[in-house]
Amino acid sequence: MPLNDKLPSYKGVETVWGKLIPEKEAYEYAVRQIAAFCANLFQVMRILEPDYEKRTSAICEISYMMNMSASGEEYMNEFFDEWNIPEFCKKDAWLGAIFGDSGDEYEDMAGRVIQFTHDRVEKELDTCPWDIVGSELCNMTTAMFTANFDLSSPNGENEVCLNMCEARGCGDRHCRVVAERRDVYGQPKQGWMDHMQQPAAPIHDTPRERGVRDGQIIRNDRYSNAFGEEKSFEWAYRWCMEKGWVWCVAFPIIAIRDMAESEEEFERIFKIVFSTAGKNAFIEPFAVEGLRSWLGVPHEIGKNDPRLMGGYIKAVLDTQLVPCELERFTKDEVVIKVDTETFNGRFPMAPIDELTTGYETLWHNMVKTMVSTEWSCWFEGKDDEYMYIHVGRKIDKRMI
Amino acid sequence: MLFKNDAKARAQHQAVRENAGWYRWTHDLVKVTGKDSTAFLDWLFVNTVGKAAVGRSKYTTMLNEDGKIIDDTIVMHMGEDTWWVSTLYAPQFIKWADAHKGSYDVAYEDITKQMDMYSVQGPNAGKVLNALLAQPVDELKRFQVADNKIGGIAVQIHRSGFTGENGYEIYCAIADTAAVEAAIREAAAKFDAPELTILEVYVRSLPVEKGFALRQDMYLLTPFECGLDWSVHFDKDFVGKDALLKAKEEGPKYKLVGLEYLAESYEDIAQREIVYSYGVPCGFVRAAIYGYTVDKNIGFAVIDAKHAVIGEKVTVGQNDSPAVITEKSWL
Repeated sequence: MPLNDKLPSYKGVETVWGKLIPEKEAYEYAVRQIAAFCANLFQVMRILEPDYEKRTSAICEISYMMNMSASGEEYMNEFFDEWNIPEFCKKDAWLGAIFGDSGDEYEDMAGRVIQFTHDRVEKELDTCPWDIVGSELCNMTTAMFTANFDLSSPNGENEVCLNMCEARGCGDRHCRVVAERRDVYGQPKQGWMDHMQQPAAPIHDTPRERGVRDGQIIRNDRYSNAFGEEKSFEWAYRWCMEKGWVWCVAFPIIAIRDMAESEEEFERIFKIVFSTAGKNAFIEPFAVEGLRSWLGVPHEIGKNDPRLMGGYIKAVLDTQLVPCELERFTKDEVVIKVDTETFNGRFPMAPIDELTTGYETLWHNMVKTMVSTEWSCWFEGKDDEYMYIHVGRKIDKRMI
Repeated sequence: MLFKNDAKARAQHQAVRENAGWYRWTHDLVKVTGKDSTAFLDWLFVNTVGKAAVGRSKYTTMLNEDGKIIDDTIVMHMGEDTWWVSTLYAPQFIKWADAHKGSYDVAYEDITKQMDMYSVQGPNAGKVLNALLAQPVDELKRFQVADNKIGGIAVQIHRSGFTGENGYEIYCAIADTAAVEAAIREAAAKFDAPELTILEVYVRSLPVEKGFALRQDMYLLTPFECGLDWSVHFDKDFVGKDALLKAKEEGPKYKLVGLEYLAESYEDIAQREIVYSYGVPCGFVRAAIYGYTVDKNIGFAVIDAKHAVIGEKVTVGQNDSPAVITEKSWL
């Protein structure tokens, strides 16, 4: 047998130093990055609103409203067509479950639909990249799915009782969402803080040995729904990099901004939280060693070199599918050019200007521990078509 | 998912196997008319549906130009130059028909929203139907469709189904559906025949035990790879014929087989879970379900032809769940 003519080709992210991050690893990393941004944002919320119930209700309310307005009848009908959901499926009872299951799998929430009947749906997850955010978010997802159910209710009434009766964000082994028809199971209408009750009918608890580590798109290269329709890994990756930001950042940030007394107060606390997160990301020396290994940084790039931070930022943007170009990459400075609208508007219909503030603050502080305090990170041209991300030396006598 | 200890699912399942059960399940329905309708359908389908007399129906697959299955349907001959195509994919069927209409004098219409369908299945289904209908169904043959009445409501009764038991499908106008459903409920109650409310019982558990696959299980395989050789009529032209002839010569690349899961349950197995032979991928799952008559976790898988050996041990998914390749019918 003759030798192969060449090596096979695979998809992945190539770091500045030629190290290849396989596409599935890149996707997992990017998903967790979205969750981490969300986790920081929720810390902002906790400072602005100390009352757990008030802040949880506020983000539930806004996410419900946004999902109601974003997912109109036409949108949901298109969803039905796209997934070839048969006419006999009762939209009022099942749509939220079908919608939720696909979204979970696109976002690497690995699990299964335990039950799917006219009257009851049970969904169980073994993993969730957002499990670091906190239980307010777990609550909030029930509000989003309530919107999906309500949208399809034939009489405009909430007919489904929806409970996240277990949540990994609360320390449970599984996330478990159960939707039960109120008329069948005698369930009450729920307020925003009532969605973490136990369901009326018994649950099915998957034993640990039958659990899964990865979502379908990772382990099987595609998501296949109950009706046999499929979405590829590539499709789901793109979907997640757009819409993954919307539900967990764009929706709650509307309510979180309202918790502040002023724009200035919101921005001040937002920056303090993201600064702290940035500074702490590489406080452990072995974290830097791990990063160097992950990016394939050669020994010639020393400990006090901005290219380490630049290479890291480039990898973050590449894994998030944000187009960017290196303009400068020397031992004195790094400049990365990025389209401003794309950076903030991953899903163009729901741009998040706080992405610029968040990442600028995060990276400016991260570089202090990843490289050294001589270095700063700042964005230029924030109001222009292109934005330039700089890593360079800067002295500021009021630097925080 | 269905589990061994689900008493409600087991009761609904066994009602169909031992007595009767009923459910609403309106497939998509496309009405095809015109003087070339028979020739047109014979061009689209591998089976010679034109051999079905008025009042009879045929099962057939539909192929793409590569000779691969893109739909499987029941085609009912409802009248002179009038056919109903029962599919789960009416919008796709219409697009495919548009692409192949050419000069055929034919018209087609998605009538899914105009019609409703109820299915009564099980050894006592005939008794339920006779208690329900103006005319008894005793003389109705398998794959025969005939007009009848429920009270004064016109219905069409098709002796068919997807459970492997004797069964009947009742078609009615959507405007009559509430009255028809009430009448079925009342007649079924006389025979203790329950309404089936668990989709997976009547779409998966019952059919899989009998080897009945959905289009999604066979998608992009050839009819030969699915054991549907009997339905292919090479003595006429049809879309995909040349490619299918070539595929027949070359032999199957894959086989749709049965898979028996040997673990207690199958929560870690999705519809595209990868199947391994000695740790090497050799195919993927198409269905996993609990069969309450055979009392086993069973399903279908698409396996490389060389590995599709009955009795061969394989593993499935991340947890190396043990399974064995079987024939794709258990009863």
